[in-house]
Amino acid sequence: MTREPDHTTPQPVGCEASTAKREPLVVNISDMKLSSDSADVIVTYSLGSCLGVTAYDPVLRIGAMVHCLLPSPGANREKARKNPFMFVNTGVATMVRKVIDLGAKRERLIFKAAGGANMRNDTLFNTGRRNFEALEKLLERNSVTLSAQDVGGTIPRTLFLYLDTGRVVVRSFGKEKEL
Amino acid sequence: MSRRNEILDQVSKVVAVPSCSHMASGLLGNPDADFRELARVIEYDPGLTANLLKVVNASFFSGSRPVRTAREAIIKLGTTQVLQFVISTGVAPSFVQKIEGYDLAPNMHLQHSVSVAMAARELGSILSMDVPDYTFTAGLLSGIGKTLLGAYVDVNVQSILDFALRDGLSFDQAEDMVLGINHAELGGIVLESWGLPEELTRVVRHHLRPDEYDGVDPVLDLVHIGNVLAKMIGVGLGVDGLNYIPSQKVAERLGLSPDVLDMAAANVVVGLESVRSLFMECVA
Repeated sequence: MTREPDHTTPQPVGCEASTAKREPLVVNISDMKLSSDSADVIVTYSLGSCLGVTAYDPVLRIGAMVHCLLPSPGANREKARKNPFMFVNTGVATMVRKVIDLGAKRERLIFKAAGGANMRNDTLFNTGRRNFEALEKLLERNSVTLSAQDVGGTIPRTLFLYLDTGRVVVRSFGKEKEL
Repeated sequence: MSRRNEILDQVSKVVAVPSCSHMASGLLGNPDADFRELARVIEYDPGLTANLLKVVNASFFSGSRPVRTAREAIIKLGTTQVLQFVISTGVAPSFVQKIEGYDLAPNMHLQHSVSVAMAARELGSILSMDVPDYTFTAGLLSGIGKTLLGAYVDVNVQSILDFALRDGLSFDQAEDMVLGINHAELGGIVLESWGLPEELTRVVRHHLRPDEYDGVDPVLDLVHIGNVLAKMIGVGLGVDGLNYIPSQKVAERLGLSPDVLDMAAANVVVGLESVRSLFMECVA
């Protein structure tokens, strides 16, 4: 789902409507949300080994967040065709295309990432590390640098993107920190 | 009384596991409701499944073959009795309430339980294993001890986390250190006290540390990895996070590779979409 400028939806009127708390845009697993409304907050809950990646244009205040399950489609090409956001390399690339379609400038985009945790003592699957490596490879190929990250370890994370300032916040164990 | 004994003392007082049954109750009020839909609702609800298996394996049916899945139980009891059962046990949809201690938001434990069940079944299918139907039930019930141990974890959560994060223990090992018991063992003991079949109770009891089970059980192996997979996917992660240790022996025994695990994870996430309406109904 995208919350783009919507000229068909009646705008809230009166004090009560304008002060009502707006629900955040929730990004599910293998999902992406974007917005050009600076009043919006995008959030994804419960990042385990999945990777949450945000992109934000500070001039136009356009931002997006993707929640990717796996590094690359591998044997799941059909799934990537149906839902590119399931995978880091197709999901992040598609998200960037979508924010550029909204008017954002590629060279202004600020990227941040969180998640990519692993099970304790897991040397076999390492899904979290593989997810982050896929992101690094993709960004390197496009000569883009990650501005901030909070990845790895064994902790679950919730990730927020505030469209008004581009502030990205990670919450874990009830504590918040800004990326 | 030691903390372990204090907790075990509570087991005898647990008469039913909270469930999300108002959706099933809703189906009962509809004369045109599809019985298969009712079976489906029960199948995806750990509380209803556990309580139903308790009833159907109780003394009235003793001597006959143990019942290990919700569907078997429904066939055995018959529609009317299942309806009565759901009405009598189904007025407290608290399985979907927040579980204190583990910091599980409403509905999250339900989603996690379903994810473990689906992941175990999915892995078996990808690996072309001939797994019994009760693999799903065992996965669904594997985390049931959390609903009971949560209150104790809540009081001691900082000590448990210290052991897990500072000393590198798994969360269940840390529970053992602080409480003298972990939620897997407790879940197994509760279901055992209800007379659920040993094939189910041993999986619940050992699903976090399958290497401690003296034998080889493919269902236990699948539920163990199913639980790992569900946690990596991130559905229903609480304060325990990913602080669990996957068994290398099980991974080798199943012949797992990252590709197999990735495929199973992708299938589970797609599968979860198909039951999302159930979760939504449960919090409604």
